Amino acid sequence: MSDPPEKQGRAPGEMTPEELARFERRVSELGNKLGKVKAGRNAEAEADRDAEMRGRGMAYGLRMGLDLVAGVLVGGLIGWGLDWVLGTRPWLLLLFFVLGFAAGILNVMRTYQQMQREFAARTGGNIGHRVPDDD
Amino acid sequence: MPDPIHQFDLHRIVPIELFGWDVSFTNSAAYMMLVVLLSTGFFMVATRARSLVPSRLQSVAEITHEFVADMLRQNVGKEGMKYFPFVFALFIFIFMSNMLGMIPGAFTVTSHLIVTAALAVMVFLTVLVIGFARNGLRFLKLFVPSGVPWYVLPLVTLIEVISFLARPLSHSVRLFANMLAGHITLKVFSGFVVMLLGAGTFAVLSPLPLLMVVAITALEVLVAFLQAYVFTMLTCIYLNDALHPGH
Repeated sequence: MSDPPEKQGRAPGEMTPEELARFERRVSELGNKLGKVKAGRNAEAEADRDAEMRGRGMAYGLRMGLDLVAGVLVGGLIGWGLDWVLGTRPWLLLLFFVLGFAAGILNVMRTYQQMQREFAARTGGNIGHRVPDDD
Repeated sequence: MPDPIHQFDLHRIVPIELFGWDVSFTNSAAYMMLVVLLSTGFFMVATRARSLVPSRLQSVAEITHEFVADMLRQNVGKEGMKYFPFVFALFIFIFMSNMLGMIPGAFTVTSHLIVTAALAVMVFLTVLVIGFARNGLRFLKLFVPSGVPWYVLPLVTLIEVISFLARPLSHSVRLFANMLAGHITLKVFSGFVVMLLGAGTFAVLSPLPLLMVVAITALEVLVAFLQAYVFTMLTCIYLNDALHPGH
């Protein structure tokens, strides 16, 4: 059995007041440095994410526009082909052009739904809550 | 001004003619082979060790695998994994083609509509075959949405059919247009740099388009990945329709 620590004046882990002050200063300095590094990293990640979102936004926009145009084009093409076969020019072309437009809108809505799902999965369902209100 | 379209020119490397058809081995075919060789080689080297604790190369291969597998599992479900080889090969081919195209002077396979159209039609036919093989005539339920009053049903069905037929068009044009537009933009801005350098005092302005080229290059790398992702994603969604018609 060794001597109880009280007999040496203070416990082995205990520090004198000036030692304690120095230690606390070092801890707070380190905390500041760490905070700065973390903030820089967060800003970087934020910028990365923003750039990615912009790229995605452009891709999504193009995608929807194309969905609409593809529907109209295919509809018109079908109408034109049927007209050509049945000799009913131009009535089926007109009809299928309008139907194609409806199909295009349908495509856009489907794409939008799918994008919403994808976004919800990525952001954990809280779309639009990440951006703080500046007003 | 340097011609921004020149980069898409096809030229015959080995002229071949078969039964009156021109089936020459072109630079496009050469790049396709390069893409296949590079990706196959990469995965062979990366997975050779098969270690439990993966090396860097092996983790890249594993991450890619998981990325595509997750996409399939989320959009199609567990039974979709049966078509994993097809979807994975599609993704890797498009991704590698797009990325190889980002190397200055390289040819971009996916910037030709015929290539992307072939891929999209392949997906379209695969969906048709799988759909009819797995569900028989029940696959046609895809065109008949439930809960629609009978008097608009023929109209809605017609619209659904047109929407279905429009798929390969938007599927192929999207990838093709993105790659084409991106590469033309890059070339045009690079052309501005050269033109300004040769324009006397205006040469001081030449760093501006150069900066733009750097920015666009970064964006294009993103687009190259994103378009491969979108193409694969849509393939998964179409496959889901084939496996579970009648949404």
